Amino acid sequence: MTVTLNNIVDQIKQSTDYQINRRLLREKIQTDLHFSYNNGLFKSTPELISFVTSWPYKELFLEDTYQNPILIKKLEFLNLAIQHYQTQMNLWHTQYEQIKRIRKI
Amino acid sequence: MNKSNELEKSKGVVLFAFNSDTVDYVKIADTASKLIRNYLKLPITLITDNAATPKFEYDRVIKVDVKDGNYRLDKQNNLIKWRNFDRYSVYDLSPYDETLLLDTDYLVMDNSLLRLFEQPFDYRLQYRMQTPTGISEEEMGPASLPLIWATVVLFRKTPKSRLFFNLVKRIQQNYGYYKVLYNMRDQSYRNDHAFSIANIILNGYSIDKHTSIPWPMLTVKDDIKSLSIKNNLLVIRTHEQAIVTIQQDLHIMDKEYLQTDECKNFVKELCNE
Repeated sequence: MTVTLNNIVDQIKQSTDYQINRRLLREKIQTDLHFSYNNGLFKSTPELISFVTSWPYKELFLEDTYQNPILIKKLEFLNLAIQHYQTQMNLWHTQYEQIKRIRKI
Repeated sequence: MNKSNELEKSKGVVLFAFNSDTVDYVKIADTASKLIRNYLKLPITLITDNAATPKFEYDRVIKVDVKDGNYRLDKQNNLIKWRNFDRYSVYDLSPYDETLLLDTDYLVMDNSLLRLFEQPFDYRLQYRMQTPTGISEEEMGPASLPLIWATVVLFRKTPKSRLFFNLVKRIQQNYGYYKVLYNMRDQSYRNDHAFSIANIILNGYSIDKHTSIPWPMLTVKDDIKSLSIKNNLLVIRTHEQAIVTIQQDLHIMDKEYLQTDECKNFVKELCNE
């Protein structure tokens, strides 16, 4: 009886916390949304993509994560940012669905 | 070799491992190096002492005399030897133009660190750390300055980096003074503290985010029961809980686990050996 009870306690201790897993996954995706371009480091966000899309000229200077002004070729940068954003968001979705399924292990 | 290769700067990883009475850091370095080679594909140099017999095929092993004299408390509150002096010597000892200095308890499980090489910088340090319970913002002591982690350090051989490591050396040599000045909690010499202070001084007594790695380092402070990969997810089991997350670099405080065959097998599995 005691052995069984101890096993149950052990198993409960080994259960996983969905909220922690969800937060850690989000944090990692935030890391992986960063990409390098022309010696700068950028985080691909909807705001960044929208801003660059709406820019009327072929080139612009953008502030990167390290607060340096980086020369951007609009189309080249946009392709990279969108591609990177899509890859990471797809990954986030896939992993999120898996984590949801294993709320308790 | 063509001209473009000649001009290309050399990149590599440097690890320090000095065995203590209780921890086989060289064995841990051997395990960590398999992951580094697998995920970063960079040459690895081990800096160790004359007594060490590393099993991993490092690109270079540099043997140095290491100073004793530092101690720390282990989990059972026993005073144990801690051979962590002279980390500043990496600037002169590293054979690479661009060096990634890693602690041996940092398990590389993806290539995210490679992105950092592509920007202009003198050195980069790990400002933020997260544990499963959240982002941890530690200070060096009560009413002191933020703690920066020396677990992951990236540097280029530039005058500013040289100044940085010279400052670390000066702080190590005058640690008693700096310990009081910065109101540090820990009595033992910690590279994290020396690197934090040097960084603050070098940036005009301020915290400059330009020298930071822009993402947090995932750290598990609890004792590890097991690590595994299930359905492409990393499962970290401690004695209290299981954490399921996307595969990523992991800083493990539990040195005992890092020395086990179980850890070695986990690494072998990850590297498809």
